[in-house]
Amino acid sequence: MSIALPRAGLIGERLAASALLIAFAGLFLFFALSAPAFLTAGNLKNILVNNVAILGVVAIGMTFVVKSGGIDLSTGVALDAAGFGFAFALTAAIAAPLAISLGLAAALVVGAVNVLLIARLRLNPFLATLALLFIGQSAQRLLTGGGSPIYLGNRSYADVLGAIGRSDLLGIPTPVIVLALVAALAFVILHRGRLGREISAIGAAPEAAHYSGISTTFVLARVWLIAALLSGIAGILLTATVRSYIPMSGNGYLLDAIGAAFIGTTLRRDGRPSVHGTLIGVLLLGVVRNGLLLIGWNFYWQQVGIGVLVFAVLALSYGLRREGRH
Amino acid sequence: MTKAPDPRLPASQPAVELRGIVKTYGASQALRGADLVLHPGQIHGLVGQNGAGKSTIIRILAGIEQADPGSGLVQVFGEAVSHPSPEEMERRGIHFIHQDRLLVPTATVAEAIALGQEPKFGPFYNGRRATRQAEALIRRHFGLDIPGNRLIRDLSAAEQKIVQISRALASDARVLVLDEPTAALVRREVESLFSVLRNLRSRGLSILFISHYMDEIEEICDHVTVFHDGRHVASHPVASTSIPEIVTEMVNREVGELYPRRSHAPGAVVLKVEGLGRDGAFSDVGFELRAGEVLGISGLLGSGAKEILATLFGLAPADHGRVTLEGRPYAPGSVRAAVSRGVVLVPEDRRRQGVSVSHSIRENITLGNLGLLSRLGLVSRSSERSLAGRGIADLSIRTTGPDQKVAALSGGNQQKVVLSKWLSSGARVYLLDEPTVAVDVGAKVEIYTVLNRLASEGAAVIVLSSDLLELAGLCDRALIIHRGRIAGRFEGETLRPELMLAAASGATPHLPGPNMKGAA
Amino acid sequence: MTLAQTEITLPGPGPGRVRAWTATLSGGDVTRLVALATVALVFIGFAVTTRGFFTSWNILNVIEQSAIPGILALAMALVILTGGSDVQTGGIDLSLAANMGLSAAIFAVALRAGWGEPAALAATLGAGMLVGVVNGLAVVRLGILPLLATLAMSNIVGGLELVLTENTVIPATSPILNVLSAGSFLGLSSLTWVLILVSTLAAVILHASPPGLRLYATGGHPEAARAAGVSVGRLILGSYAVAGFTAAFAAILSVSRLSASSTGTGEMLLSILAAALLGTVFSRRGVPTVAGTLIAVLFIGFLSNGFQLKGLSSNWVSGVQGALILAVVAATALNRRKGG
Repeated sequence: MSIALPRAGLIGERLAASALLIAFAGLFLFFALSAPAFLTAGNLKNILVNNVAILGVVAIGMTFVVKSGGIDLSTGVALDAAGFGFAFALTAAIAAPLAISLGLAAALVVGAVNVLLIARLRLNPFLATLALLFIGQSAQRLLTGGGSPIYLGNRSYADVLGAIGRSDLLGIPTPVIVLALVAALAFVILHRGRLGREISAIGAAPEAAHYSGISTTFVLARVWLIAALLSGIAGILLTATVRSYIPMSGNGYLLDAIGAAFIGTTLRRDGRPSVHGTLIGVLLLGVVRNGLLLIGWNFYWQQVGIGVLVFAVLALSYGLRREGRH
Repeated sequence: MTKAPDPRLPASQPAVELRGIVKTYGASQALRGADLVLHPGQIHGLVGQNGAGKSTIIRILAGIEQADPGSGLVQVFGEAVSHPSPEEMERRGIHFIHQDRLLVPTATVAEAIALGQEPKFGPFYNGRRATRQAEALIRRHFGLDIPGNRLIRDLSAAEQKIVQISRALASDARVLVLDEPTAALVRREVESLFSVLRNLRSRGLSILFISHYMDEIEEICDHVTVFHDGRHVASHPVASTSIPEIVTEMVNREVGELYPRRSHAPGAVVLKVEGLGRDGAFSDVGFELRAGEVLGISGLLGSGAKEILATLFGLAPADHGRVTLEGRPYAPGSVRAAVSRGVVLVPEDRRRQGVSVSHSIRENITLGNLGLLSRLGLVSRSSERSLAGRGIADLSIRTTGPDQKVAALSGGNQQKVVLSKWLSSGARVYLLDEPTVAVDVGAKVEIYTVLNRLASEGAAVIVLSSDLLELAGLCDRALIIHRGRIAGRFEGETLRPELMLAAASGATPHLPGPNMKGAA
Repeated sequence: MTLAQTEITLPGPGPGRVRAWTATLSGGDVTRLVALATVALVFIGFAVTTRGFFTSWNILNVIEQSAIPGILALAMALVILTGGSDVQTGGIDLSLAANMGLSAAIFAVALRAGWGEPAALAATLGAGMLVGVVNGLAVVRLGILPLLATLAMSNIVGGLELVLTENTVIPATSPILNVLSAGSFLGLSSLTWVLILVSTLAAVILHASPPGLRLYATGGHPEAARAAGVSVGRLILGSYAVAGFTAAFAAILSVSRLSASSTGTGEMLLSILAAALLGTVFSRRGVPTVAGTLIAVLFIGFLSNGFQLKGLSSNWVSGVQGALILAVVAATALNRRKGG
């Protein structure tokens, strides 16, 4: 028999679930009022392209992993692998579609290693991907002679890179379209699909999932391949946007992707990761980064600001939920 | 150091006296004027269905919760306790032995016992003295030699229980509260625990023994108090009552039949097992199971009975023999393969293997029927909802609705969720591993009814249970496994607990007396 | 009539975290022996094949270089052992390295601004500890997952360091820094002595005092510790506070070594974490210990030193670290499967 929750608890829980939305709306309003340049079409587009699209794709991959009960520290490695494969193929005068495929294939190799370690051998995801992160750093240094970038400034690449990184479709930049497609597909898979149910069950109760006839190995294998593929897509977008492959640049997305996925969990009362929650987390980070820049904070203060913001959202959400429990 | 409690305390003075305790949570009353009186040198049983108020009164006794202000009386050794708290109750000698073995798995025996009251050498922890004291304490009270430097996680369940009790004895316990102390203990361990308890009783300790197992109450307790609906409904010497009487008091109505009758009309052979064996686990197991039949399996820990179930469910492949399922060969290499052939398991570790407690009833039921409910990889929400609704109605799961978290359900209702997960999946063979463990008497009857219904609807059911009374009441036939082989087949007149027990222990049939063992 | 309650499950703080390691010679013992043998073999291998490796100068040099990562790894070990060793939900402090960076910046900036040495020391240690206290409060009072709380904190702290230094190296000198950087006693440098003293102190507290016992109990099974009257929350809070203080202490050592604050200390985080995690395989109980952590730190130190002496590219170092972690994790997991 269930015991009726005290009313205050329910309100606390509701508040906790909406803390993220309130924070987002409040900050959006704040920047719109305090920075005239913020609420312009050009700037909003800029946020989407430069602060949201790539991180969004990576963070959605992270969402799959977190939902399955894991965490992926090697997301940057897969991202870099794709960037390297893509850039290397282009410099070797390989046609663009093939170069993209090679890049994605390189990311999937990282994913396959994770499948072996985590889905097959059942190693702890944190530790397995931590190891892969180290190995990925070495591999990139060795492949690039100590870490020198591959520049794609040459005119012959301009068309390809422009098409991916800069061009518009009905005024919407390609990276944003890619994110929208990825998000829509991920939403259907994770929240409407059979695979999503299986992932969620494995994340919450791996043994019960196994005893229900779900093949943990196959489901986890798909999770880690999807995560690697999404990191790979992000890697190609990044390489096309900055017109170069810079070794170990993928690690820059790691903390933000984890942050966004976990910020997103505060959106739901049950604290589960979700595609929409993650997207709001990514938007929040993007808007704040851009807004702080516009109100004149330098890069250093931006980092502090983002950190404080993430901390505050977490504190608010966890704190209120905890109040609700008592 | 432990002082033996004074055995010359007048027997008339109760060790603990709780009178007229009322406890309200929000709108609901968990206790409505409950009494509990423990005497020194007595093992006192406390029984009741889930929700009867047992755990609430224990928590009040342990000082974890306080009775409603102004209600009732809490007296320990004749002194009223005005401000009970866990520390205060411990100071007065009341120690609570939690059902979960609340011990640090990576600590040593000595550390686990010393924790919180560590012997010191100056400012340092005196590990050597802690080890000596722990070993001496265990030897004196239990007659056992457990090295003080062994890690808790390397101990057996019973040894861990002993360490837990030793912790209490090390700080001068006069009253021990044991909550379901025999859960997860094998029979031999239960016996040594009981002899320890008798030993402690003879030293004048007062022991409150909470258990779901009526036979244990009958075996170990001097006195039993029955709770129902927030108050004590009976309290009498065990010698002057009987199990059926206690059960009747617990449910507070006549239990017509604990094991509902069922018409036995077996159909075609569903499962045929021939010479089945797995190296190191069991060998030469053969039986036939017909539609509509309930087959019982039992055996001591390590007998291989559990492993037979595991093999049939695809958890571990067989090395020898042959299984035929509905006329076709059946050798599942995975759980998935077993489930796809309609063989399902209701596991013993319900909260980990049976359900996902953080998911809703609806999501749990869907988990077993994803194939049925999905089209093109998408789950149909409307069919999902109606399936969950049907499951809840069918098994009368007591819930606020299909979206309630399984964590909020009682053990019995959780078990019904596991069962309803499989009802629509077209399962043909149900394997049940200890289906009524930690389920209260009322819910047990409901689960038996479900099993009977499954059988009458043509399913083949195998029940593994350590409760031989249950097997005798529920099953058409039973197999007893001993050292990996079938040691006996029981049916009709021979389907009797005492005969099965004899077969399980590999002995020639004799009836075990209730007090046959001395100190371990 | 109950025949037997079947299957013994060992109590664990979480599902699957602690499995039976079988009796007598457990999987943990085997792992430990193999790990120690590996360390010894690698050391001997380098000593035999590499010129200049097995010299007292080189060995002392490696130990001295390991002082700062060693002290930070001990701080990480403290947080892990108190918060529980499940990396995803247990204790972890991802802001440790960034905290050291910030503290070093504070120290250097304070000295540059003409603060006296005691004031600068107090400000540095106070700031480092404050970061730890905030981490601890977030974990204990608000119940935020340590992984997340300290991740956010590392962003804040890293940003503050940048704000303070504007991403430049700030030179610093003071008497105490000179003693730390140039002093020596009995042939051992100041830094080496500091490592020895800190380790000894940590070993005494963790392995030979009642508080140490309680810290391990808190990490091993918080409910059990609480039931035994241990103030679990206060100890966890304390572990983060001490870790923060230690990071600031390491920062002072780092400033003395470089005679300046340095940028990019955040990059040390992963190898500190790796050392603390690797260290657990050297313990019978599979928990972080002082000795295990030190062995892991020195092992990583000797490994990169050996590579350097062999003329191998330093590009290999992190890869080998990664492979090591993988080997340890795989060995532990396989062992557990066999044992359980």
